[in-house]
Amino acid sequence: MRLRIIWLIQSFKTALIMDKKLKLIGKSTPKLDGSERVSGRAVYGHDIELPNMLHGMILRSRYPSARIKSIDCSEALELDGVECIITANDVDVNRISYKRDHPVLKGETVNCQRDELAAVAATSRETARKALRLIKVDYEVMEGIFDPFEALKEDARQINLYGKGAESFGNKNIAESFTYSHGNLEEQKKNSRVIVSRRYRLPRVTHCCLATSNITADYSVLDGRLTLYASTQVPFLYQRDMAHALKMDPSRIRIIQPTIGGGFGSKLDMYPFEPICALLSMKTGKPVQLLYDREEEFIASPTRQTMVIDLTTGADAEGKFTFREVRIIMDNGAYTSWGATTPFVMMQTYSSLYQVPACHFRADAIYTNNPFAGSFRGYGNPQATFSVERNIDLMAEELGIGKDEIRLINANYPGEITGQGLHFKTCGAKPALMKVLETSDYERKNREKQNGRYRRGVGLASMLHVGGGAKIYRSDGCGTRLKLDHYGYLTIVTGSSEIGQGSETVLAMIASEELGIPLQQIRVINTDTDIKPWDVGVHASRTSFVAGNSLLGAIRLLKDKLNLKAARLMECETGDFLYEAGSIRADQKEIKIDKVVREMHFGSPNELCVAEYFYEPPSSFQDKQYMGDVSGNYAFASQVAEVEVDTYTGKVKVLNVYVSQDVGRVLNPVGLQGQIEGGLAIGIGYALTEEMIYEKGVLQNPSFHEYKLLTPVDMPDIHFYPIETLDEAGPYGSKGAGEAPLIPSAAAIANAVSDALGVEFQSLPLTPENVLRAWSEKRQHEPANSRKV
Amino acid sequence: MNFNTESPATREELLQCLRRHQSADFRLAAGGTDLLIELKKSGPEDLTLINLGRLEDEEFTGITIHPAEIRIGALVTAARIHKDPYIHEHFPVLHQAARSLASAQIREVATIGGNVCQASPSGDLSCALAALNATCEIIDMDGKIRHETLSGFFRGPGKTSLLKSEVLKGISIPVNQDETLMSGFIKIGKRLAMECSIVSIGYHFQMNATGTVIQAGIAIGAVAPTVVFCTRAAAFVTGKKVNDLTEEEQLQVAGLIRQAASPIDDLRASAWYRSEVLFNSARSIFEKA
Ligand SMILES: Cc1cc2nc3c(=O)[nH]c(=O)nc-3n(C[C@H](O)[C@H](O)[C@H](O)COP(=O)(O)OP(=O)(O)OC[C@H]3O[C@@H](n4cnc5c(N)ncnc54)[C@H](O)[C@@H]3O)c2cc1C
Repeated sequence: MRLRIIWLIQSFKTALIMDKKLKLIGKSTPKLDGSERVSGRAVYGHDIELPNMLHGMILRSRYPSARIKSIDCSEALELDGVECIITANDVDVNRISYKRDHPVLKGETVNCQRDELAAVAATSRETARKALRLIKVDYEVMEGIFDPFEALKEDARQINLYGKGAESFGNKNIAESFTYSHGNLEEQKKNSRVIVSRRYRLPRVTHCCLATSNITADYSVLDGRLTLYASTQVPFLYQRDMAHALKMDPSRIRIIQPTIGGGFGSKLDMYPFEPICALLSMKTGKPVQLLYDREEEFIASPTRQTMVIDLTTGADAEGKFTFREVRIIMDNGAYTSWGATTPFVMMQTYSSLYQVPACHFRADAIYTNNPFAGSFRGYGNPQATFSVERNIDLMAEELGIGKDEIRLINANYPGEITGQGLHFKTCGAKPALMKVLETSDYERKNREKQNGRYRRGVGLASMLHVGGGAKIYRSDGCGTRLKLDHYGYLTIVTGSSEIGQGSETVLAMIASEELGIPLQQIRVINTDTDIKPWDVGVHASRTSFVAGNSLLGAIRLLKDKLNLKAARLMECETGDFLYEAGSIRADQKEIKIDKVVREMHFGSPNELCVAEYFYEPPSSFQDKQYMGDVSGNYAFASQVAEVEVDTYTGKVKVLNVYVSQDVGRVLNPVGLQGQIEGGLAIGIGYALTEEMIYEKGVLQNPSFHEYKLLTPVDMPDIHFYPIETLDEAGPYGSKGAGEAPLIPSAAAIANAVSDALGVEFQSLPLTPENVLRAWSEKRQHEPANSRKV
Repeated sequence: MNFNTESPATREELLQCLRRHQSADFRLAAGGTDLLIELKKSGPEDLTLINLGRLEDEEFTGITIHPAEIRIGALVTAARIHKDPYIHEHFPVLHQAARSLASAQIREVATIGGNVCQASPSGDLSCALAALNATCEIIDMDGKIRHETLSGFFRGPGKTSLLKSEVLKGISIPVNQDETLMSGFIKIGKRLAMECSIVSIGYHFQMNATGTVIQAGIAIGAVAPTVVFCTRAAAFVTGKKVNDLTEEEQLQVAGLIRQAASPIDDLRASAWYRSEVLFNSARSIFEKA
């Protein structure tokens, strides 16, 4: 009975959303900032030039592990044009990172290749570079620890002197640890017909933002205010972190975000170069700009978390999943950044992607002398999904049931409350699965096997990700301020940030839809912490969801004012009027919206046409056991990858990717397509070619020449089918969509390559060499007479 | 990186420029796609770049067809080679190598002379030219010309027989004796563009009316200190009907090609991989589709 009522309410709300005829939402709209970006008019951090600006540069460690005996800057300071050099001894700062284990400048030891020893401010980049070469550092080199399993050993030395591993987690080199469980594992093991255990190794990759890391700091000695032109995707958290680092009052720090040339999670944390640049400006009293070149970007910007995953999973005789048991060791690198918290997202996948009666999860982030990992689009989920979906294929093979069937049997469903407490009020998991199976002709392609040089295969994988923000800070909310002027132009001041994902455009579309104002008359202001209201930042695929809802709230308030005034002017009863083509319409009457505003401003009683609203998603905090409904809604997706493997070279060609994703509602089709294609480019690179190659903590391939980011010609045909479940929590029923497209890609591709060759893969990337090696090994084990050359 | 640039416009200016700088530190620059990367790394001070890009001299910048050979000026770009109809028809191996080089943007500036003088074992144009038995035409600061086969010209990774007083003027390729061709360029890499060869094979077989090979050229790249001309494999194929090799013969040629290589492990691939793929790709040349 209760279920039925809920269902009724839900379908009623859905009907409401569905009923409304939408004019602009759902129609492809080019990005507002698109023409600025492609014409070169956009102002990136690199384009900023301030009067008397100096150029900053950082001296990094020559060794990944050493004691610093001395740093001598005297010769460098004598160089013409050098205005300031700072080392750890010259500054009074707090350690940074959420674990406070990261000194901004290193004075005692260096723990990874990135480590900052000194920074120069000079009148030109050339001079700054020369000065770096003149700084003499005396090191006492130590043997580094580059393998997390070595770091865990009793006799290993403590890598990060500020780590609290010994007290908190029982081992000095554990930086962070997460444990989660639900269900009765032992009982479920007994219920299992098959149990599959595998160890997966996931590589270190990086974001490759087209714009390298950059910051311009402008400190005024007159009023003690610090203005930072910074490419952050979380301006308010950044302001707080910066204030903590510099021991300053946060509100004295103003963050201005120039056009951001790629974020993908890399700008979710504050890194040492940023307070360093601020310090240089504070010491010199002049603006200082610090830009990475591409090599420095590879060496010193964050990476995805590399990890070893031991996964054991079971299924009963019918193919129903019984349990998942996971143990993960993450290479945290020398310091802690958000990468260490990826287990928070991974555990959702292990506990709740498909129906899982029991789950036990433990993940530890281990300090090593490698570079530290940050957050990266997908936030651990590509790694987790890879392991889960590989194991599912193996279980299906052992049980002798279809890889499609086993997934359909276990698919998530609407109304499900998972073991972890995630509540799937709407759920497109099964529709997405069925869609990709049908459109890809999966069953036929899965049956067909080739014998020649080229072998085709298909692989299937699904994913689950938050779709309505993620409550991990005290507020997961977003503020909006609206101003409608007396010419009918609307200014949206939103707390949220645009980092290329297109949310700015979606906000303008929503306002245009609701207020009947053309897009050309709408401006979005979102780049200045002195002006914009609070927002957590761009992460968890949340911006269109949270900022969209916040905007809708503000529009409702603005309309209340407008309706009242319009009714008076049209001499009719106030009501929910129609806003269309610059006018407000009642039954027979109509009035121009700008006229209404003029009457508000200049008529009596004079009032402004402004409104503000704060939206906080209905999600809840998880408890200490990580139980709880952490997001406003959840996104589901499936992908089928079709590959052709060249058995002569090991090269994998992805022919087609079929993507179906529960996005709730498509807001801007062309923007969504961009997210899907861009996501796949990252996902396919993760699957096939991208890898940061380290030798004893030193990056061997810090260039686009040797780090194999894929190019446009490497992209397959992409077939995208959105699923619209019209979730009541999202604006017009929508869900977050930004991270999902890359999450299942590597899993689907690895499954496809396994399908093509009959070879198992437990690590990425599937480079031609790795594939050819696996293939050769398989053929060596085959009886000679069954071998066909 | 700090340097002065001189941009001679005529051959005489170029030779003068060379003479003037003999006792100083200078480098020749054509497209600069290899050179600038190198200079960025080494960060030289007080270097002079003699920029060949402004040179207006047909013998450096043109493609000309003569009765016995075709001459390609050292400054001809990869894009121009890729688009040239004569090369497309008569030297598919070179056409394909040019197409596979880097990206459209880089092909517009990267020159054939730069590719050869860089003497990279993975130089794609160099590999194709070796398969075509090309010859280098070299001019010195006094205007004297000398010719040298490509295999003589390459002396090691990044090393050529060029003296400080010399410039590469052009490359000549003997015209085909017969126009029944089996010619192509195989490039193995991890991605389809902006890729440095992990293994490459250039092959160019000229056949008579009966399909018998009368001239064979096979060269391999990225598997030895220099591009290697596979003399024994070419000799093996000559006189045979290349379209009708038995499976055993196919494996034999592939084996000979593999033997010409001395691959190493590096960041891009292991020696094992290079050797395997070289063998497999060599075999694939002779397999019927
Ligand atoms: C992103 C990228 C991708 C690349 N991909 C490929 C690829 O796929 N395949 C490939 O083969 N190469 C590739 N390269 C390398 C390079 O583009 C080629 O080798 C190109 O042909 C070099 O020509 P250039 O005119 O730019 O030479 P430059 O850089 O100008 O010169 C190279 C060297 O030759 C010398 N030199 C040039 N011209 C002469 C001359 N006439 N006489 C004497 N010395 C001379 C210079 O002094 C220098 O030492 C790539 C380079 C980049 C940056």
